[in-house]
Amino acid sequence: MSKGLKITYIVFAVILAAAIAGTVIIFTAPASQTVEIISGGEVLYTLDLPRTADKTIRVEQGGSYNIIEITDGKIHVSEADCPDKTCVHMGFLRGGAPIVCLPNRLVIRYVQGGAVDAVAG
Amino acid sequence: MKVKRIAELALLTALALIIFVVELQIPSLTPIPGIKLGLANIITVFAVYRYRAGEAALVLLARIILGSLFSGNMTAIMYSLAGGALCLLGMLLLKRVIPLKHMWLCSVFGAVLHNVGQTAVACAVTGTVQILWYLPALMLSGCVAGAFTGLCAQLVVSRLYKGNDK
Repeated sequence: MSKGLKITYIVFAVILAAAIAGTVIIFTAPASQTVEIISGGEVLYTLDLPRTADKTIRVEQGGSYNIIEITDGKIHVSEADCPDKTCVHMGFLRGGAPIVCLPNRLVIRYVQGGAVDAVAG
Repeated sequence: MKVKRIAELALLTALALIIFVVELQIPSLTPIPGIKLGLANIITVFAVYRYRAGEAALVLLARIILGSLFSGNMTAIMYSLAGGALCLLGMLLLKRVIPLKHMWLCSVFGAVLHNVGQTAVACAVTGTVQILWYLPALMLSGCVAGAFTGLCAQLVVSRLYKGNDK
C-alpha cells in the first residue's frame, strides 16, 4: 500500500467518524423554543412556540406557497406546492437541523440554543 | 475524437440516465433533503478511471442536464451541477493516489464532496447558514452510498476487463 493511499484511508476514517459524531450530536441536541420562519433569506416570523396558539401560516415566495402549521407548541409544514414535498415529509421541527424547502427557499429553524450552540460552543 | 469513442461515451451517458431515472422511482429513505444512493455515480466513477478527464466530465454534464429535464425538477440542477463538479474534480485528483483496486474509496470521497457542494448551494439559495447542520448526516450518507456505488463500479471494471488489456 502506497503512502498516498494510506493517507486517503486515514482521511476517510476521520471523515466517517466526524460525520457519525456530528449526526448524533445534532439530532439529539435539545431544542430551544424560539423559532424563525425565513423565506428567501428574510425573517418573516419569530415565534415563541410554547406561547403560540395553534394556527396555520401561509408563506408565499415567487408564486409558490408553503402552509406551516403550529399545534401544541410544535411546528411543521403541512402543505406545499414544491415538486418534492421534502419539507412536508420532514415532519415536526426537532433537534438542531432546520426544516427546509429548497425549491421555495423556505427555512424554519430554532433561533438559538440546541445544536447550534452546543456545536459552536 | 474517434467515432468508437463517441459511441462509448454516448452509451455511458445513456446508462447513467437510465440508472438516474430508475432511481427517481425509489422513494427517499430519510426525510432529510439530499440523501440518496446516487447510483448514477457508478458511471461517473467508472468514467473517471477508464476515460480521460474531459470525457468523464462530458458524460457527467450531459447526464445532469438531461436528468433534470427528465425528472422535471429544474431547480435541482444547480445542486447537481455544484455537487457534480466538486465530486468529479475530487475524484480526478484522487485517482492519482488511489489505484483501481481501491476505487470504492475514491467514490466515497466523490460522494462526500458532492454533498458538500449541494449543501453550499443550499446555504447560498436560502441565505441560511443553519443548513450546514445537515452536513454531517449528508456526509455519513455520502460515505455509505459512495462505498456502495464505488464497489459496483469496481465490479463492472473487473468483469469488463477480465483477461483483457488491463
